[in-house]
Amino acid sequence: MIAEKIYIKTATADEAISMAYAHKDDFCYLAGGTDVLVNKYQGNKESKCLIDITGIAELKQVTITDTHVKIGSLVRLDDLKKHPVLQASFPALIIAAGEVASPMLRKTATIGGNVLCENRCSFYNQSEWWREAVGYCLKCEGDVCIATGGKKACFSKFVSDTAPVLISAGAQLEIADFDGTHIVDLETIYTGDGIKPRNLPETALILNIILPLGHDFLIVFKKLRPRLAVDFTSLTTAVSTDKHGNLRMVIGGVDPKPVLIKGRVEGNREDYIKSALQKTRVVDNDFYSRKYRRDMIRVFLEQSFEELMR
Amino acid sequence: MKQATFYINGKKHQVIVGEHDMLSDVIRNKTGLTGTKQGCSQGSCGACTILVNSEAVLGCITPAMRFEGAKITTIEGVATAEGLHRLQELFVEKGAIQCGFCTPGMVLTAIDFLQNNPDPTIDEIKLALSGNICRCTGYKKIIEAVTDYVKETQHNKNIPHRQPGPNEAPNKIVGVSRPYIEATRKVQGLADYADDYQVKDALHVKFLRSIYPHALIDHIDKSEALKMEGVRYIATGEEIPVTFGVLPISQDETAMAIEKTRYVGEIVAAVAADTEEIAAEACKRILVKYTPIKEFLTIDDSINDIGPNQKIHEYGKFNNNIHKKAELRFGDQAQGLKDADVVSKMSFAFEGINHGFTEPHAATAWWDENGLTIITATQVTHYLQRALAKTMEVPLSRVRVIKPYIGGGFGGKGDPFPHEIIISHIARKTRKPVRVCLTREEVFLNNHGRHPSKMNISLGADNDGYLKVLDADIAIDGGAYGSFGVVTSYYNGVLLQAPYKLDNFGFKTIRVYTNKPQCGAMRGHGAVNSRFAVESLIDDIAHRIHMDPVEMRLKNFLDSNTLTVGHYRITSNGSRESLQTVADQSEWANKHGKMEYGHGLGVGCGFFISGSALPIIWNELPQSTVHLKVDFDGRVLITSGANDIGQGSDTMLAIIVAEVLGINMDKIFVVAADTLLTPVDLGSYSSRVTFMAGNAAKNAAENLRTEISSAIATKKGIEASELNFSEEKVFSNDKSIELSWLDAIEILTANRGAVSVSGKYISPKLGGDFKGSGAGLSPSYSFGACVAEVKVDINTGHVRLLNVWGAHDCGRALNPMAVEGQLEGSWHMGIGQALSEEMRYYNGLLVNNNFIDYKIPTTLDTPDIHTNIIETMDPEGPFGAKECGEGAIHPVIPAIANAIFDAVGIRITNLPIKSEDVLELLKQKSVLTDQMAE
Repeated sequence: MIAEKIYIKTATADEAISMAYAHKDDFCYLAGGTDVLVNKYQGNKESKCLIDITGIAELKQVTITDTHVKIGSLVRLDDLKKHPVLQASFPALIIAAGEVASPMLRKTATIGGNVLCENRCSFYNQSEWWREAVGYCLKCEGDVCIATGGKKACFSKFVSDTAPVLISAGAQLEIADFDGTHIVDLETIYTGDGIKPRNLPETALILNIILPLGHDFLIVFKKLRPRLAVDFTSLTTAVSTDKHGNLRMVIGGVDPKPVLIKGRVEGNREDYIKSALQKTRVVDNDFYSRKYRRDMIRVFLEQSFEELMR
Repeated sequence: MKQATFYINGKKHQVIVGEHDMLSDVIRNKTGLTGTKQGCSQGSCGACTILVNSEAVLGCITPAMRFEGAKITTIEGVATAEGLHRLQELFVEKGAIQCGFCTPGMVLTAIDFLQNNPDPTIDEIKLALSGNICRCTGYKKIIEAVTDYVKETQHNKNIPHRQPGPNEAPNKIVGVSRPYIEATRKVQGLADYADDYQVKDALHVKFLRSIYPHALIDHIDKSEALKMEGVRYIATGEEIPVTFGVLPISQDETAMAIEKTRYVGEIVAAVAADTEEIAAEACKRILVKYTPIKEFLTIDDSINDIGPNQKIHEYGKFNNNIHKKAELRFGDQAQGLKDADVVSKMSFAFEGINHGFTEPHAATAWWDENGLTIITATQVTHYLQRALAKTMEVPLSRVRVIKPYIGGGFGGKGDPFPHEIIISHIARKTRKPVRVCLTREEVFLNNHGRHPSKMNISLGADNDGYLKVLDADIAIDGGAYGSFGVVTSYYNGVLLQAPYKLDNFGFKTIRVYTNKPQCGAMRGHGAVNSRFAVESLIDDIAHRIHMDPVEMRLKNFLDSNTLTVGHYRITSNGSRESLQTVADQSEWANKHGKMEYGHGLGVGCGFFISGSALPIIWNELPQSTVHLKVDFDGRVLITSGANDIGQGSDTMLAIIVAEVLGINMDKIFVVAADTLLTPVDLGSYSSRVTFMAGNAAKNAAENLRTEISSAIATKKGIEASELNFSEEKVFSNDKSIELSWLDAIEILTANRGAVSVSGKYISPKLGGDFKGSGAGLSPSYSFGACVAEVKVDINTGHVRLLNVWGAHDCGRALNPMAVEGQLEGSWHMGIGQALSEEMRYYNGLLVNNNFIDYKIPTTLDTPDIHTNIIETMDPEGPFGAKECGEGAIHPVIPAIANAIFDAVGIRITNLPIKSEDVLELLKQKSVLTDQMAE
């Protein structure tokens, strides 16, 4: 009567992927699980098979080459600060990781899990009963987006705090699947579709997050939330400059994907802000209103520019 | 399912676990180690924290299978044969434990943190604990406990033990800070809460809840659900048709919806099954056919004629959804407002808020030869006994209600609840014990929290700052049922007649039914929002007449030993001392109005009842009765119906009895809140327990002392009045007779055996002879004041609360540490209502029904709190004591808003104070300033 459940612990990436294929109709990888298991508890996504990948030692390393630092996808958020190279070259990443959820969750949640954190919406992150009562939104097989009063697109918000910083620093992902490994720019995995916010196959496994060294990134990270702990973001910004004069603005929490705007240090900042406001699709699906979060995009970007130029 | 091995607290456990079971479920349900608590099941409260292979994890979102074979430490494994872990001792000694539900998680989180960071700063400690929600303490004493541990272990600073007991001077009982008598049990995870009780062969209940706010139930098809293996019973509304409610005049609820539903989330059916999982699955297979009808979701919807639509309740003769109109007037407010030199009139709006106690509602019920027994998380064993007898249609003598340890209440466990009635019914039908534990979402749906409200209030004063007139027009949104709402309606108004002298005062409150979860009593019941309004208006008038707001309040305070306009008898009154204390401590005179733009200080005052002088159910019983029994071994057993919900009332009773008898606390035992064993006490609401149960305990102890004195007098041939009780001795004035306590008891019990006595408290006759005069009547009132310091970010509107200085007149602090804890918890809860908490609805559906989206302040959101106890020795309170658990919440919220005014010149009229509202008001002010400049 009650559906059978399976729990598989894996020791290597290859094994995990093999298991994923063996159960590809109804499975989910489980890293820290702080996102997956809450969604499972609420019935947002219930998988018959959980493939626990936390036993894969090779994904828990931080390795350094002359040109890159590779962060294993299973490095826990709380552990990032223990790596001097990250402290020295990407302090904003440490700050961002330190603002995810709460200290206890950061001791379990992984960097890979955070960049793949499922999009959230006030009308989706609810129990099954609640979603039935509200009439099911697009993200859970309904017909319309309830947050927007009936649009035919899903605007669930992208809530990773680390991904905007990583994207601002030109991060790439090393991804493994049955057909081998490949490397993609982090921002390219995000679709902008709130229903399926990432274009990765379900079986794909992030092995490493790769950050370039030697670019002298300066990154300012900001997060809007009602409380100083526990809360998901209502708006995240990461604005970076590098030694080449590149300016990258990444905005999270206000669109189904992290919105990236590229510019130059000497460029017109007002144009960048207008572009950010134009590209982000903020809806009323958060503690704060749509209007306020839009207003804060400007405030955060202006403050970030100011801090970077000091 | 598979067999798995865990090494928990050094012991090997081989248990059968489900493949997707969470670790905290396995630990609680398969190994019986229920010290690990579950408050949210979403990793957002920290109560389930355990150590796995020496690292802290949140058990509620950790798959058990991940850690098969692991070494696990639960709270039960922290203490050793040598005794408590020193951090546990400090939690006990510093008063860091109130309800104790968060304590296991808090202790283990701290232990984990300290093993990696043994010498942290206070800020680092706050950060480390920021994922652990405590609703009782305001975190202050928890942080102090951890800080002291660090001082002791890292800086060789000796933290003196605070262990009252055998070594304590026995003539110092009242007025000495001491831990709760059960604190050591709580800190080890050994205290059993409602869901910790394992009654064998119990069925598990889950509920099917309405998905419509207002709908006719056309048909319920249980057939598919009943076919499921393991489903034992499915109950629907018509099986329990008798209505109930905490107030005799609001018996408007049935345990489950009958014929129609009145809010989204109302229980429509209940499934009892062998497991929770089966019951939950069966709920999904029940088909309910509804016909939705016009819903009423706002005050405005419900206050007006509703046309051809169906009312929420067929109640009242008018075609609207008004539940109650309460109005009292003293003097002519219209004329008073005309005559006043200055009038401030504002409109206010407040969102509803929830108690947010960390322990979800849980209960187990069964029937046997003695009738019904229910173990349940309740603040009102007595009223629940009545409600169960009524709805089960059995005599009162066939119902036994047992209150176990309670993980916080704050009013939210102060009504009889549908789940308690439903499991009692199913237990009778199935002849099996039946248990239920609500999810956090269900706790929010149960609600009974603070009413959303709107009010227009006018306050008039003369140019010298003396208040002349107050007129309040209030509307409150009661949700679908009555609960305490009639009382709330009155309290919104009547509790404005103090702490200031006001001869011309009137109010009208309308409570409406809406199709939302019902509202009821919550800490500071009824008057928190209207107090906010009045304190804001006073601040406004002070500003307009260029008078210091502290000075203006000092001018207007009522005196001690006086009557208010509505015939409240004010006896002890520490308003003045409270306000002066926080003003001095905050350096008000040097800072208010004198700091840079964006930085402000604000003040607020308040008062509250020390128990309602009138019982809810009119009868001739005393409001509290306490029994004492002493036997040959010298132990004194207190039995009391008072409900300790984490506020420390068991300890309070023990202190009072020990003081009167002159014996140590270790000779006192308390059995409380079991309707079979303990005499009637009306329950923990309206801040009545210290005053009423405390007085009853004092009366009982005095009666026992009389019995002992008489026995000794007879035996020794001395006047009983010559005898004294102190330092565990009974001695005559001339010391010619000096008996140890045991010798005295030997004389008492000779040829008689154990002696039992009774004590009682009955409130004096109070109040005027006008209709409505009983509302808010109390034998005593508490008073208090707060100053808040804020910084406002003018770019984002974000308000950062830096400091709260609070002072509260509790009459006398029987246990100063416990009083501080109540005050700090009250201020913390007020901070939440001020800055972040609200219940948000979408078409009647509660959107933020969890601890992620309902924003209880964390350690990082809680400012430095500076606590002051003001003692005024109430003439009728036990040893001078009066309430301290609710009133303190009143002044803190307006103090924050008034600080914002001081910082940036905007007047806050809506709660919570959201950054975006602050920003909008700043913009409006800027536009206004620009226009005026032009």
